[in-house]
Amino acid sequence: MTAFKELDWSLIFIWAALTSFGLVAIYSATQGPVSAFLPEYIQDNFSRQALWVGLSIVVIIAVQFTSPRTFQGISYILYGFAVFLMIITVFFGTEVSGSRSWLRIGPINFQVAELMKLATILAAANYLTSRRDISAENLKTAFITLLFFIVPFILLILQNEVGVGVIFLALFPFMLFWSGLPHGISLLMISPAVIAYFSVIDWRIGIAFALVLTITIFLLQRRNWLTFTSLVIGLLTVVGTEVALHQVLQPHQTARIEAFLNPTVDPQGTGWNIIQATTAIGSGGLTGKGFLEGTQTQLRFLPEQWTDFIFCVVGEEFGFVGAGSIMILFLFLFLKLINMASTHKHPFAQMVIVSVAAVFFIHFTINIASATAIMPVIGLPLPFISYGGSAFITNSLLLAICLNMDFYKRSFSIYS
Amino acid sequence: MSPNRNKDIKSAARILQVFIFLIWAVMFGRIIQLQILDYEKYAPMSKQNFIRQEFVNPARGLIFDRNGTIVVENEPIYSITIHPASFDNSKIPVLADLLQVDEENVLERIMAAQQYSWHRSSRLYSEVSFDVFSNIQENSWQLPGIGHQVESKRHYPQPLFASHTLGYLREATREEYLSSDRIRLGDKIGKSGIEMVYEDYLRGELGAEYLRVNAYGQTIGHYNDNELDIPPEKGYDLITTLDAEVQALAEKLMEGKKGGLVAMDPQNGEILSIVSTPQYDISRLAGRLDSEYWNSININEDSPLFNRAISSRQPPGSTFKPFMGLIGLNLGLITENTEIYNSGAYFRGRPYRDLADPGDYNLELAIERSSNTYFFWMMDQIASNGHLNSWSQLTKEFGMGEMNHIDLPYERIGLVPDSTYMNTNFGTRGWGVGDLMSLGVGQGMLSVSPLQMAVATSVIANGGYRVQPHVVRGVSYNDGSTNYTNPDRWRIDWIQPDHLQIVQSGMRGVVTNGSGRWYSNLPDIPVSGKTGTAQNPHGRNHGWYIAYAPSDNPQIAVAVLVENAGFGSISAAPIASLVIEQYLKGEIERQHVLDYVLDFNPREDVPDEVESEHDVEQMIPETEVEP
Repeated sequence: MTAFKELDWSLIFIWAALTSFGLVAIYSATQGPVSAFLPEYIQDNFSRQALWVGLSIVVIIAVQFTSPRTFQGISYILYGFAVFLMIITVFFGTEVSGSRSWLRIGPINFQVAELMKLATILAAANYLTSRRDISAENLKTAFITLLFFIVPFILLILQNEVGVGVIFLALFPFMLFWSGLPHGISLLMISPAVIAYFSVIDWRIGIAFALVLTITIFLLQRRNWLTFTSLVIGLLTVVGTEVALHQVLQPHQTARIEAFLNPTVDPQGTGWNIIQATTAIGSGGLTGKGFLEGTQTQLRFLPEQWTDFIFCVVGEEFGFVGAGSIMILFLFLFLKLINMASTHKHPFAQMVIVSVAAVFFIHFTINIASATAIMPVIGLPLPFISYGGSAFITNSLLLAICLNMDFYKRSFSIYS
Repeated sequence: MSPNRNKDIKSAARILQVFIFLIWAVMFGRIIQLQILDYEKYAPMSKQNFIRQEFVNPARGLIFDRNGTIVVENEPIYSITIHPASFDNSKIPVLADLLQVDEENVLERIMAAQQYSWHRSSRLYSEVSFDVFSNIQENSWQLPGIGHQVESKRHYPQPLFASHTLGYLREATREEYLSSDRIRLGDKIGKSGIEMVYEDYLRGELGAEYLRVNAYGQTIGHYNDNELDIPPEKGYDLITTLDAEVQALAEKLMEGKKGGLVAMDPQNGEILSIVSTPQYDISRLAGRLDSEYWNSININEDSPLFNRAISSRQPPGSTFKPFMGLIGLNLGLITENTEIYNSGAYFRGRPYRDLADPGDYNLELAIERSSNTYFFWMMDQIASNGHLNSWSQLTKEFGMGEMNHIDLPYERIGLVPDSTYMNTNFGTRGWGVGDLMSLGVGQGMLSVSPLQMAVATSVIANGGYRVQPHVVRGVSYNDGSTNYTNPDRWRIDWIQPDHLQIVQSGMRGVVTNGSGRWYSNLPDIPVSGKTGTAQNPHGRNHGWYIAYAPSDNPQIAVAVLVENAGFGSISAAPIASLVIEQYLKGEIERQHVLDYVLDFNPREDVPDEVESEHDVEQMIPETEVEP
């Protein structure tokens, strides 16, 4: 019974709350009055998701009987296996709306990228924590670690799943930061993303941010070569973004970005999603239109409303109360996991828990920022809420591993 | 782990938490902005999104004949529409299968719709069968972007065309729908006949319907239990003056001939039948545009679209003589007893031929036997004494050479020349008596339409009243009330009753003893008439006939023009008499006359050598002449 108390029940509560919200939203998005206009296989989404939830409960419980050492032990093998599956998928995967990211194993379609996420966290955490701390003078480890992320990223590009690939790129700085990378260099690593984001809006704002970030890095680190690098990278990012926008990106990608900047230019085309999504959330108001009463949802104005745009369903039908609750639950999840990591003694466990928090955070940010038109639409599911078996089980598994490591934090130590 | 490292971990965790919180706060602020601050902006947007205002076309008013028979009604037609942006091209095979057409055809039409507009619905197929329509309706759930709608087209249940009178509908042009807020793009409006003249009555008022739709444009149901809906207001019904049976017979009689026929009630100007041939089949212009048919009637050299009954301009020939008589009596040139000798020709600079038997003619006999001399002599008096303008003015009072303002489009004035006209066209003093002589016998520059002759005939029939010809006698409103037009008639004051009587007996004589006796004389109904032949410098002469009956209490006046048919007595007269028979008796008893008219071919039945109406007598087989 004492062991039972050791389990972090607050995380389990957050998981249950988010999952329930998800089931309600999926039900509304696929079973309500809207269902008459949906293909049959989508109408089954709710019952399938319920099945995955049941399965996840089993997984979460089963994981608690495993030793945390196991995850460290199998990390490289799992990574190798995942990469192998990813390569298989590139050639033999099932193609779903343009991307080849699903592997069919018997009756089950499995999204290999989800397994890859888990494997990358474990392997990179294992590698990083078995080396000496990274410092500004010794970046060799950092570059080797980068390989753990670049490989899946390239494979995902080959699968035409750039959106999921972004997660790996974004996860990398989080893990390096936690492993002691000097703050200035950490900032340098995320600065291209920040500068690129603002360059999309206006290249002048991009340059302004490049300068501000360079000065901040100088104040943090006071090394000339770093400051210089930051300035060069910052300016290159602005130029690169402009070139990408006008030369490299495919027309549909450029259109998405343009639609983000000015949705009313083509309200029926690429701006459609943005207008409909913000309209759905905005028209929800404080308390929402009520369960199954959301006109945007039930009249199918939202695309992919059971996955990428599920936040709009909640926002429309349950209003600010519903959408805000979900956001607060997520905030607690992130802060709680980081606290959990900071109180853990074992560096591997710390790294894994922080990485899991980071992965959830990246998903959360991209999904909600897309739905609320803060950034161009990148189709990523919202953890525990969106429909999708592979993602749901993997996310639950990630959380279960965190629970497990926290649960065994006394026995799992660097001294044993 | 060193204490230092431990302290680093704590601060790293704080930095990470602050970083995450800041980004989270940005997004949290964003939903506050969307849901709390901008709620007022987005709530109506989502409403507009799912409520669609659809216009509901009103039913067009029906058209009845004078006896309450429906002549024009509405028939539902079924259309399939497409919203290209919502359509998924992979559904083409399913769609083609349901439409029962091949895939290429569907693809072609879809591409045309896409070219028109990617985001606006357009008709993919119109006038599909009800089976196809209900198939599509049942399967609309698997065909996003495909819609269906019921529209209507005109249907003509009676066995008659009346094409020029009823008129056809056509899609409004850009100018038309931009200039009226009652007409929208794609609406059909009347383009000829009473459909055009009475458009404002027939059209009705647009209604509106508020529907709930999804993002595919599929209708989910009504909004707010139809509370906001405005029902369309049906167009008003028209009651015409036409007699469907007489009209059908008249069309049958005129078929295969070129010309015009107008039958009216001489007491009030109600048009009982009006025909212009060749005509066209308005039912073929009712629905989807049959461009092949449309082109064929447009390029036809006999111009079927031309309404000969009210627009043709032909000399009236001898049918003008009764009016000439009235004018002569009024001007004091002649009296009832004035006799003019016919020697076979009238000499005025040159001989003017007269084919009537030689001898003395008074006015009555001159009309009965159609002696030219009498009328040449009168015209000579008029022209020589400078009475041309009086003559012209009096002639116009019968309705010739001026608008009669019938409620049909494209009426034409014709020509009754006066000195101004002559001066303009021949130069002052560039014309003389010789140029005017032929006017006396209804030839030369004088040109009239069958409508004008019917109006003029009515004046003689009804005792000197000028009537207003019209085809619509009443408008039936939706509350059940009917507003009758009842246009005024007015007395032509210079026409003396005793003068009229002379002319009337002359016209009665035409039917009993003159050129009308073979085909126009009904055994039990007294008919009065006058035949005529208009000289045609371009080809065979045109046949005319005017008549009214019963002579003692006229109920019908008829004017018939058959182009290139030779003498009116054998071409136009039998047609007019059958129309009179049908109207007054309700049936045709003279089967041989009917057969004769139906078989009559103006190009073959009249040999060129025949020069006089009197020669025609020999052509009629003895057996066919009524005793």
